Amino acid sequence: MSEQTTASEITADEIWEVQPGERRSVGVIHIVITALLIGIGFVVGAFGSISFPLGFGVNFFWTGIAVQQIGAVWFGGWGVLAGTIFPFFSNAIAGTPFYVSAAYIPANLVQAFLPAWVFRRFKLDPRLKSGRDYGILFLAMIVSSAFGALWSPLVVLKGFGLLTTDSLPLFIWGWFGGNVVAGLVFNFVLLKALSAVVIRTPAFVKRWWS
Amino acid sequence: MSVIIEIKDYSWQYMNTRQAALNDINVQVKEGMFVGIIGANGSGKTTLAYSLNGLIPGQYNGIKHGEVLIYGKEVEEYKSGELQKFTGMVFSDPEAQFTAMTVEDELVFGLENLGMSIPEIRERLEWVTELTGLETMLLKPPYELSGGQKQRVALAAVLAMTPKLLILDEPTTMLDPVSRRRVFEVLAKLKQEQNNTIIVIEHNLENLIPLADRMILLSDSRLILEDETQQFFQNMELISQEGIYPPGALQFFYELKKAGKISDTLPVTLPDASKQLKQLFN
Amino acid sequence: MNKTLLGYVPTQSPIYAIHPFVKLFFLLIVSLFPMFVTAPEWNMLLMLVLILLMWISRVDMRTLKIYVPVAISMGSIIIISYILMSGTHPEYQLIARFAGIKVYWERVRDAIVVYFRILPMIFTMVFFLSTSRERDVIVAMRTIRLPFVVTYVFAMALRSAGMVLEDFQIVRQAEQARGFDSTGKSLAYKIRKYVNYMIPLFALSLRRSEEFTNALVARGYAFTGEASRVKRADYVLTHYSFKYFDAIFTAIISISFIALLFMRYGYDYFAIDQSILLNWLKNILM
Repeated sequence: MSEQTTASEITADEIWEVQPGERRSVGVIHIVITALLIGIGFVVGAFGSISFPLGFGVNFFWTGIAVQQIGAVWFGGWGVLAGTIFPFFSNAIAGTPFYVSAAYIPANLVQAFLPAWVFRRFKLDPRLKSGRDYGILFLAMIVSSAFGALWSPLVVLKGFGLLTTDSLPLFIWGWFGGNVVAGLVFNFVLLKALSAVVIRTPAFVKRWWS
Repeated sequence: MSVIIEIKDYSWQYMNTRQAALNDINVQVKEGMFVGIIGANGSGKTTLAYSLNGLIPGQYNGIKHGEVLIYGKEVEEYKSGELQKFTGMVFSDPEAQFTAMTVEDELVFGLENLGMSIPEIRERLEWVTELTGLETMLLKPPYELSGGQKQRVALAAVLAMTPKLLILDEPTTMLDPVSRRRVFEVLAKLKQEQNNTIIVIEHNLENLIPLADRMILLSDSRLILEDETQQFFQNMELISQEGIYPPGALQFFYELKKAGKISDTLPVTLPDASKQLKQLFN
Repeated sequence: MNKTLLGYVPTQSPIYAIHPFVKLFFLLIVSLFPMFVTAPEWNMLLMLVLILLMWISRVDMRTLKIYVPVAISMGSIIIISYILMSGTHPEYQLIARFAGIKVYWERVRDAIVVYFRILPMIFTMVFFLSTSRERDVIVAMRTIRLPFVVTYVFAMALRSAGMVLEDFQIVRQAEQARGFDSTGKSLAYKIRKYVNYMIPLFALSLRRSEEFTNALVARGYAFTGEASRVKRADYVLTHYSFKYFDAIFTAIISISFIALLFMRYGYDYFAIDQSILLNWLKNILM
């Protein structure tokens, strides 16, 4: 195969900016990548849900967070869509009732969206070249998981009458910790290891949909 | 026979690469022809195949020079889905082509994309399953089949759309010899009964040579040899230099020719080789 | 045997006579029943009905064993949440006290109510997953006229999940063939190993995305443009016809739900106060 230019020659700004004359459009590849992310997330998320359960889809160590957040960073809106949808299925397999899983959707949406947004807004390098990249990503992980942790136990589980007010802190911290710890373990490693390859593929999304 | 593929001074360089994958390619293919494309890995065979059905530049970013005309029209000018109505492609890895739950769904997918009605689909399904011997496998998941069966399903899924131009990119790479033969038997049937134009990229020449009308040799992004099959394989020195290993019988006669034992045209098929050998003994 | 989303069901199972839409409808509606029923004996009855349906459908009942740990862990969480972490509530009736923890009747009652609401919801999902083939779910989605792209993404996602599992097995077998064994290793080590699996799994999926896309485009599929607006024949639906008993089942499910709502909100039926089981339990504990 032909020699490739080195990935290190591309700057973070160049990664996210649409170059003059560059044509980008939504295509079949985006549908495919959404489906593949849902598939990976389904397996990885179910593993986390079954291996480290707290209850009602809340986990001590939710491995699906990596697919949810990294998929969204790389593939924009398609990754956010996949990250919102797949927990529904992985929770279902792990024994979370249908409507409880459905009610988690806003939490999963925010958890997927925020990292994707910060990368585009602050032109962070998905290859994590500087402390700024690490720092802002970490903040996004914290804030998004905090929202998820508040929404899910507080609104969903309390709303369905599945938890009492006194037990809420356990589930809030469980959700938050389960996502942040798993995110710390997986997100940085995956971004470091694969971003250089992903940004060169036609599937990589610079804006939100192409 | 009219020319349906015309490639003029065509070059293609993938984005973020230093070298072009194809350089100054000029080829004409007439309707109804069976063309074999051979070459070492990285010579540009797959890029050429993708250029013929619109995957390049449709799905890949890069720099294009020259023209690729299918039925007189540049591939880029075809609207999305239009070129695929008469150009079908089978890839080397059947597993990567299956997205449906059953063989039947896999075969029907392309027909639904064409907007065919249910009676038309039913009729086409019956025809293609009989052609490829898949009648008993329709309700099985394609990924649970053997390698040879999978490739037959991949081939059937494309044939069901009755493309006038059929491109196969190393269709037998992952198959055993028996399965390989079965795939080529289907291609032979197509050549005999339909008037499809067939382009096959292959490393294994044993089954390809008897069917091919013309052969193309690519090397390091360039077309270095193109001719009718019989004439093509008279250039054994060049072909061998490119790391291509023709069938044993052909190589045997080439060695005899090199040793000055024969001066005839080299036989390219086994029946021709057998006939020539008998003549030699007589 | 036919492979379903959660195991295998014999080909002769009567569940295959039911249109997939009815199974999806059953999941969506019956999952709601426990939300409106607080008396636990009614939810227990629903669970029994679901188990009976699974048995009639010839589901391998060993599938349910997978969910025993889920049921136990959920029960434990509810006990912790409702009983052990119930706080101090002078308005409630105290029934026991140990190690500084006050056990109130209302909390015990609520824990039982919640637990027996969750279990039938889970059973409904398990029933659906163990009796539905992948194709059934696609057909159900097409029947309710979800856009083709939605059903296709779902089908591809299922396919992709299967491939990820296969890849995972292959990577593990390759490691075992090289003498690697994680038995007895620490959790941290196993997690580190898991990270190493994730990278090739992601990489393989990325490569597949290109191959799948080429295969779809080569067969004329388009997401945008004129080609995407082609009227699809939905050939798969020709294998499934909505029969009279499908209509009957759909009607039964709908009428049951409406009747439940009517009785719950019109006559306060299925409420905690009406529960024979809870009243009996209260008498024993108080």
